[in-house]
Amino acid sequence: MDPQPEPVSYICGDCGTENTLKPGDVIQCRECGYRILYKKRTRRIVQYEAR
Amino acid sequence: MEERSYQRKPVVKIREMKDDYMKFELRNTDASVANALRRVMIAEVPTVAIDLVEIEVNSSVLNDEFIAHRLGLIPLTSERAMSMRFSRDCDACDGDGQCEYCSVEFHLRAKCVVDQTLDVTSKDLLSSDHTVVPVDFNEIAGDETSEQKGVMIVKLRRGQELRLRAIARKGIGKDHAKWSPAATVTFMYEPEININEDMMARLSLEDKQSIVESSPTKVFDIDPTTQQVVVVDAEAYTYDDEVIKKLESMGKTGLIDIKAKEDSFIFTVETTGAVKASQLVLNAIEILKQKLDAVRLSDDTVEADDQFGELGAHMRGG
Repeated sequence: MDPQPEPVSYICGDCGTENTLKPGDVIQCRECGYRILYKKRTRRIVQYEAR
Repeated sequence: MEERSYQRKPVVKIREMKDDYMKFELRNTDASVANALRRVMIAEVPTVAIDLVEIEVNSSVLNDEFIAHRLGLIPLTSERAMSMRFSRDCDACDGDGQCEYCSVEFHLRAKCVVDQTLDVTSKDLLSSDHTVVPVDFNEIAGDETSEQKGVMIVKLRRGQELRLRAIARKGIGKDHAKWSPAATVTFMYEPEININEDMMARLSLEDKQSIVESSPTKVFDIDPTTQQVVVVDAEAYTYDDEVIKKLESMGKTGLIDIKAKEDSFIFTVETTGAVKASQLVLNAIEILKQKLDAVRLSDDTVEADDQFGELGAHMRGG
């Protein structure tokens, strides 16, 4: 298990500001209160089978 | 009773040979051998193709798995594939791209910084091994004047970026079509066309003309000097039976007789560019021989299974 779950950043669907959410947090923008947030692409390398 | 041998001595005669195209005759054998050769060329001759993609950055319009799939389909020069190892059989490594026996590493870095669209092609793939590179189609076409263009992977607009590492591995078409070195492999029976000269001599010129025209392909013609129907290109015949039907309707059944020679085949081979057409045929024969050796040696022994593990598995329908 991961020692500490890394906070994941999301972009607000209304005002576009970046939000960091931890597990259990309310899904809501801190700036404008909009409830649709978009997850950002991971900075990690992702692996795929070329099939 | 004395044991009879069914051994034959097949003969190959090459008609036409280019880098990616070949036409040849195969004689003194039967359809099972011809078809085995065709199927081995399509599905069992190994090549190298991208099999694993590690994407670092992808802000293009195509998603990661879409790009990974496209990379897999790019033909890579695979002259070395026959002597390479399958990464699953490679003891020296785990097929991670670092091992010279079983894998080749590629890097791709592209970022569009101008307003014009940036084309990311197979030419942007940088190989760690100069013997395994994306196939250059301009070279095959003998086309040096035109702009150097590779296989299109993705187009980027301003600000979009693609950065990845790809690992190419040896494989066969049976596992995935991306490993097939063959674009098309076909064979046809050589037709044998006999014209009954006596019956033909009694026909009017119009009748002869209508017979010549009844064939959808140009198989027959009228000799301008003798006014006789002659075969100009027997191989243009597509076994369509149109001429036979025409003769039947004229009440002249038997005027022309067409048979397929059961022991004579005309092959057409086109490759993807991964190996030369001539090499593809030679490799296919080599693999066919290995398979036959495995059958001969297997004799349901356990030792044979150890020795020919993979091939043995193939023969048992693996």
